[in-house]
Amino acid sequence: MRTRKFGVRLAVLTAALAAFVVAAVGSATAKTASKAGGTVTLKLVVADYGTGAGNTSQKYWQGIVTAFEKQNPSIKVAITDISWTHFDSEVQTMVQNKNYPDITEGDYFSAYAQQGLLYSAGQVLSNAKNLLPVFASQGSYNGKQYGMPWTTSSRTLFYNKKLFAKAGISGAPKTWANVEADAAKIKKLGDIGFGLPLGPEEAQAESLLWFLGDGGNYMKGGKSWTINSSANVAAFTFLKGLVAAGDTEPNPGTVDRTPLWEKFAAGQVGMINGSPALIPIIQAGKKLTSSQWASVPIAGKNGPLTDTLGVCDNVAAFKSNKHQAQIKKFLDFAYQNKYQLAFDKEYDLLPATVSAANALKSNATFGSFIQALPHAVQYPSNTAWAQVKTDIQNTIGTAVSGSPSSVLGTLQQTAQKLGTK
Amino acid sequence: MTTEQPRLSYRPALPVRVALSLRSLLWIGPAIALIVVVVLWPVVVLIHASFQNIASDGFVNPGTTTSNYSTLWQEPALAGVVFRTVIWVVGVVSVTLGLSLALAQLFNQRFPFRRAARTALIAPWAASVMMTALIFRWALDPYSGPVNVILHALGFVKMGSNTADWLGRPGWALFWMMVVAIFVSLPFTTYALLSGLQTIPDEVYEASRVDGAGTWRTYFSITLPLLRPAILVATTINVINVFNSFPIIWEMTRGGPGYETSTTTTFMFILKQAFIGESAAMSVMNFLLVIVVVLLFLRATRWREAVNE
Repeated sequence: MRTRKFGVRLAVLTAALAAFVVAAVGSATAKTASKAGGTVTLKLVVADYGTGAGNTSQKYWQGIVTAFEKQNPSIKVAITDISWTHFDSEVQTMVQNKNYPDITEGDYFSAYAQQGLLYSAGQVLSNAKNLLPVFASQGSYNGKQYGMPWTTSSRTLFYNKKLFAKAGISGAPKTWANVEADAAKIKKLGDIGFGLPLGPEEAQAESLLWFLGDGGNYMKGGKSWTINSSANVAAFTFLKGLVAAGDTEPNPGTVDRTPLWEKFAAGQVGMINGSPALIPIIQAGKKLTSSQWASVPIAGKNGPLTDTLGVCDNVAAFKSNKHQAQIKKFLDFAYQNKYQLAFDKEYDLLPATVSAANALKSNATFGSFIQALPHAVQYPSNTAWAQVKTDIQNTIGTAVSGSPSSVLGTLQQTAQKLGTK
Repeated sequence: MTTEQPRLSYRPALPVRVALSLRSLLWIGPAIALIVVVVLWPVVVLIHASFQNIASDGFVNPGTTTSNYSTLWQEPALAGVVFRTVIWVVGVVSVTLGLSLALAQLFNQRFPFRRAARTALIAPWAASVMMTALIFRWALDPYSGPVNVILHALGFVKMGSNTADWLGRPGWALFWMMVVAIFVSLPFTTYALLSGLQTIPDEVYEASRVDGAGTWRTYFSITLPLLRPAILVATTINVINVFNSFPIIWEMTRGGPGYETSTTTTFMFILKQAFIGESAAMSVMNFLLVIVVVLLFLRATRWREAVNE
């Protein structure tokens, strides 16, 4: 009898627990954006660019938000600061659970524009023309711009002057032949000649920089994929030779960008392609003084690149909470020059607006990057790129150990299947 | 033990009979609910997902499709991945079993500090597999890993060179990951076999001694046959565990370069980054594969007889 009663209790308990779980899940999916007493709370989700607790993006945005809320007492802004590693998946989870943010800053998903979830730039910015035009197509869908560049960067070749002097090399490499000769000399010192990060972290960027050196690219005119073009195959054939000679770190297909940048900062790498984001890593490493490294245009097959890879991180504004007017107020406020410049100064990145870029043109550190921006080469802007990119990140590194033409050929096949829409 | 239903002296009306038979549901209901919600439902969702057209950011396009499976079949890396999975499972499980048989034998002997030694064996089991894998990855670092420092001092490798980059070369990477997998599988297997050894009565050994059987004869004619149920259980569980093993490979090589150190489990995870439907198809294949392998294994070893002996 006792046990039977226990059974009933157990059943009741289970039922109660189940009810509780259902209730909890239900309340979690309830709308979080509140409209209490005429005050609107905007949900701002940003990626974290900080290198530590001292300079998190939370801090940066809080500065803007505090000033903004003072001017607009009826609008509150709640900041969610997410590390880059988790940014994509957390934003995707929010959207999949229909727990929409109002504004995101970080990676931009063209599929959200395709699904009709976003306001266009014109709907939430008074002066959308001030956004750097070179990045407009990147954020556009069906001819309308939805991704609004917030910060940009371009690539250059960094080299270690100390190692160059020690190896008896006079100047920065300009051609692939220079790279090969210089890397071999630095290798003899026991260091890494050329740092070639072809691991999954950002293999698509490193590969593109070499493709560009030979006049290649991922696509031709945005219309057809050219991943296994003869120029691209030639670029990887050159790299394969470089790797086989031991002029790079061993097995580049397994080496990611961040650890290799850290090795450069530690003074163990002769040359490496980098973005302004490498500068704070060098400074934090405290091994190389500012006179012991320099950054120059990337070496190409026959001469330095005139057009380099430029990338931007974007702002996107979501329709779902119907906060268009408030979002517009906030974005107009946040896109002011002073906040753009503060961001670039804090994180060693480049501005995304015409007016801010003009203000920085004569800056000693950033001037050369800024001048390269208008000619920046972009990644493909079609919706298939996200998948093609992942495929490239995962497999292109094997082209320096296996056959370049077959690895690039397989990538080309996958890309063609995904289309160019 | 038999459970007796209370006998009633009359035949009750139908609703009462139904109610009575439902009574048992009260007991097993929560367990069934748990199995349905936690085990069966995800399988249904998984199979459903593998027939959907899912965009890389999670949007589900309408309609069903078999293209996930056909894309998976045409994946050039698939054959290599499956082949590697077979090597991985067979290699890890067989070496683990061989070593564990010896270890179990050792721990079954009386020797000083046996208790301490047996406890120490738990360590690889108790430690997080991810931590163990990370420690091995650091130990094998081509520039500063202790393993390479020692090998360098002995003159076998040059620091920072290709020879020191164990995890960058697919063949060696697979070897080292198998070493780690064996290391973490040993404790469970050894304990399973040890408990099996302890169930073998001393009289059997006495009898064999009286009959003049030597050490090896005793081992092969008595110990091993009587250990069969324990070996079967240990092998089955190990096959499933090793097949599904994810953290070791993920932490040590992420399945790279390319997919050259991936098994079907890590391959499925890598696919999920951008090809969700195809990844679901791979999951379904994994699920079927492990069930088929285990069923075949159990059938081949006639486990019913063995376990019921």
